[in-house]
Amino acid sequence: MLKVKNGDIDKMGLLYERYYRQLYRFLFNMTRQKELSEDMVQNIFLRMLKYPEGFMGFGEFKMWMYHIARNSVYDHFRKVKRTPSHSDMKDYEERIEGDQHADAPLEKEQELKTLETAMGKLSNENRELLILCRFQELKYNEIAKILNTTEGAIKVRVHRALNQLKSNYLKIEN
Amino acid sequence: MECKDYRAQFTLLLTGDLNQSQRSEIERHLAGCADCMTEFETAKKVWDLMGEIPQPEPTESMRANFDAILSHYKEELIVKKNPIGEWINKLRESWYMQAQQRLAFSLLLVAFGLIAGYMLHQPGQTAISYNRQIDSLSSQVSELKQVMLLSLLNDPSASQRIRAVSYTDEITNVNIKVIDALFTTLNEDPNVNVRLSTLEALVNLSGEPRVREGLVRSIDLQDSPIMQSAIADVMVKLQEKSSVQSLRKLLNKKGLNQMVKLNIEKSIQKLI
Repeated sequence: MLKVKNGDIDKMGLLYERYYRQLYRFLFNMTRQKELSEDMVQNIFLRMLKYPEGFMGFGEFKMWMYHIARNSVYDHFRKVKRTPSHSDMKDYEERIEGDQHADAPLEKEQELKTLETAMGKLSNENRELLILCRFQELKYNEIAKILNTTEGAIKVRVHRALNQLKSNYLKIEN
Repeated sequence: MECKDYRAQFTLLLTGDLNQSQRSEIERHLAGCADCMTEFETAKKVWDLMGEIPQPEPTESMRANFDAILSHYKEELIVKKNPIGEWINKLRESWYMQAQQRLAFSLLLVAFGLIAGYMLHQPGQTAISYNRQIDSLSSQVSELKQVMLLSLLNDPSASQRIRAVSYTDEITNVNIKVIDALFTTLNEDPNVNVRLSTLEALVNLSGEPRVREGLVRSIDLQDSPIMQSAIADVMVKLQEKSSVQSLRKLLNKKGLNQMVKLNIEKSIQKLI
């Protein structure tokens, strides 16, 4: 990234290659909208290209990328003024009924559906923590850096979020 | 440690953030506590299920799209670094105006052309300039005829002299020179016919006071009876009262033709 900052634009292409899928998944899991997420990926990378000075203070490109991505996501939430958890549930279900689970046993399919519904009922903040921790497989200290807090606080918050998801899941299942 | 302390570490156990001794301590507790075991199993089930949620793949074109964005951005940067390039770019942008602006501009040009053409080509002005040319041409012709008239009046042939006199009708602005020449012909020309036609020509010019005076003076100078009668008739026609005295003088002239005498007397009566 320092090379990009010093004018080596082609290095940004390499960074894009390395991170765009990961970033896309984070954005999709947060917004549940495919096209929007793809647009956001491009905009986030373009923004990093145009304002590389923002990189300072993060130390690691990935952290900076997530930081900007989070801002974009919450900007989007403020714009639409509604949580995607309820509005895009259909999208969730359609996707599951679509291809990936066609061969899965009926019971597993049902469980996944229940879990995704339970995820949708979480607050944006809790859902975000679980997405970063489980889907993006970030370390606690990395999440702490992105959210600008301590590792200990993140451990507690992730644990609470998982408990919330568990109780949501059990409620739906019964 | 109580159950809730172990349960607080379940997530850390799932994320693999506990060391060997911490892990075995929890496992020992779980083996002896059914409640905690159920609790952990549910947590693990949810955790494992989360790992099974299919993760979407972005569209394949995204990579190529970003390459396009990147190369476009590079071009922009090059242009920014190179002030001449930037200047050329700006020039190009201003040159390629919006289609609507271009259309409006061309319409404006057409309208301007029409107005300018109309203003430059006003029919009235052309007519005036033509008239001016014709005027100047006709005045030149008139001058030419006056010169011809003056030279022809001195021609030895009577018929040529009559032709010269006839030019007076065609000359628009007869000048003093011509009038004088005509009077000389009227009073002195040896041929009666020439004198008669000169008289006719002068009658046509009787609008000028100078011509009328000359005609009255000419009464005395005429010897030919035809001319005497004709000039008396002209006086009646012009109602020139100042001629009465000259006519009476003519009556007293010796050897005056009787017919002429009668004619002049009639004329005098008419004039009085």
